[in-house]
Amino acid sequence: MKLKKSTHLAWNILIHSKLRSWLTIIGIVIGIASVVSIVSISLGAQQQVQNQLGNIGANVLTVTPGFSKAFGSSGFVGGGGGFRVITRNGGPGEGSSSSSTTQKNLTINDINTIKGVSNVEYVMGEISNRETVSYLTKSATLDITGVDTSTWSEVTTETLSSGRFLSSGDSNAVVIGQNVATSTFSNIPLNSKITVDGKTFTVVGILSNGNGIYVPIDQARNMFDVGGTDYQSISVKISNVKEANATVTAITQRLMLERGEIQASQQDFSILNPSELQSTIEQTTGMLALFLGAIAAISLIVGAIGIANTMFTSVLEKTREIGIMKAIGAKNKDILMIFLINAGMIGFVGGIGGVVLGAIGSGFIGSLASGAATGGGGFGRLFGSTALTPALLIGALLFSIIIGMIAGAIPAYRASKLKPVDALRYE
Amino acid sequence: MKEEVISIGNVWKKYDMGSADPLVVLKDINLKIYTGDFIAITGPSGSGKSTMVNIVGALDRPSWGGVYLKNRNISDLRESALAFFRAKTIGFIFQQFNLIPTLTALQNVMLPMEILDISEKSAKEKATELLTMLGLGERLNHKPTELSGGQQQRVAIARALANDPEIILADEPTGNLDSHTGKFVMDFLGKLNKAGKTVILITHDLDLVKYADRVVHIKDGKIEKEVKK
Repeated sequence: MKLKKSTHLAWNILIHSKLRSWLTIIGIVIGIASVVSIVSISLGAQQQVQNQLGNIGANVLTVTPGFSKAFGSSGFVGGGGGFRVITRNGGPGEGSSSSSTTQKNLTINDINTIKGVSNVEYVMGEISNRETVSYLTKSATLDITGVDTSTWSEVTTETLSSGRFLSSGDSNAVVIGQNVATSTFSNIPLNSKITVDGKTFTVVGILSNGNGIYVPIDQARNMFDVGGTDYQSISVKISNVKEANATVTAITQRLMLERGEIQASQQDFSILNPSELQSTIEQTTGMLALFLGAIAAISLIVGAIGIANTMFTSVLEKTREIGIMKAIGAKNKDILMIFLINAGMIGFVGGIGGVVLGAIGSGFIGSLASGAATGGGGFGRLFGSTALTPALLIGALLFSIIIGMIAGAIPAYRASKLKPVDALRYE
Repeated sequence: MKEEVISIGNVWKKYDMGSADPLVVLKDINLKIYTGDFIAITGPSGSGKSTMVNIVGALDRPSWGGVYLKNRNISDLRESALAFFRAKTIGFIFQQFNLIPTLTALQNVMLPMEILDISEKSAKEKATELLTMLGLGERLNHKPTELSGGQQQRVAIARALANDPEIILADEPTGNLDSHTGKFVMDFLGKLNKAGKTVILITHDLDLVKYADRVVHIKDGKIEKEVKK
């Protein structure tokens, strides 16, 4: 019998099947929907991590005052969708540095020391604070970051939407984030004048995203009333990302020596290595996805058992028809194929429903998580985006078909082995 | 001289009954059927006539003895080869019609041809021709539940003829029909016989044996007598 005919007969069984078959399909729908939702949310979280860490740049290390083995001295806030290391000591509402060691600011000496480490390409100190920014009649309190204009364009991982980065010799010039230009204020065009802490600046560049405002560091020092050569963080661009860990070790050793810290317990600075952070977060989200996926898989197994049960019942119901088909010449393999395709179809129909419901469900959960994120929840931000890739949807559908066929294999085999004379006698 | 088309030699059939003694249904049956025969197998209920016909039709295998198609023993063939034999050589007509309820009349008749991988177009043409010949040209797309008993049996006859088999095996074909429709079916089987088909009729209705040229009477699993007209 041709595959087309077997498929037609299998479809015929499915569309004439009773409510029980459709309830079985609902079981598969729920199982596949759970898997699709969880996998898409998990993939979305991983992408989110990668995107946000991408904003930091895997080749940019960040040195901050205060020491923590983990991230205790470094908080995360969502500035423009990116993780940002907070280096201020207890900035309002943005996390705080906390360390068990006596904290010493970073200085120009630290920058010079780091410059001497191999694999280091550029080093740039930063200071930041929140100041009142005005444009036309509107004002807002925003993060202002003072950067070294000679190296900022080399170190930063930000991209420009229009204009240029700050460069050497710039004075009263400012580069603003996309959100500042379009959301915080209705529309700030390039070369327009904004006021920061009462001083007028010209917008020379608008970044592709973010809420930040960048000014030359000397003007920032005056603005924040921070004198001398202290920095709140140091960004270190390295040449070879593969040697990031070795570079972190080398910088740590040099800085401790330079800062007179002999014992490990005296270390009073932290170095954020984005690639290591990325790996840790990916491991965490991966474990979470695995755990949730296992729970979803249980519902899928229950669905598969439902298919097997329905198929056994279907074979019983169709016993006489199997006998008729054998009497008129159908081979065992023809009967096997019909019932196997039928089981695959239950998986397919359930898979289609599951993929659709899963897509809707993951979107719903994503929007709920995004809603939580607006309230400041990091978890919500992490799971606020989902990744419904074609590979995931097709994979889920194929998986569902295979589950259906595996579950239907034994009933189909039994059907194929029925003796025609016994099957014809079945009432 | 007529050619031997199918024969059974020294056939026994027994069913194991667990701890009880086995049930012996056929006891040393020997029968030769020739091309163009119209043979009626009669006997009371439980005599073993249906079991014998199941063995002749390759729906069942004998416990001992052989079934020969043109002198070739088919009782030891693999199931797939037996299935091909059934599809190609025998057309079954059952008392219960045994149509697939979810398929239309046309699809039921097309099915044996499609099992043999005949193209859908050719199968459709042949099925339409057969059903029209049996007066069901207007009922092609009706499902069995939408047809009367007589119409269903005519669909079953069309299905039995789909692959143009040498042998028509009719098991109580009029059992569920009124006398008028029953007569139509028997007359049609007579026409098929005259056209060269070998017809094996199983019946306990002695009124039907008049259509046959040989009558084999079975009792208690043995051929009690054979009458040739």
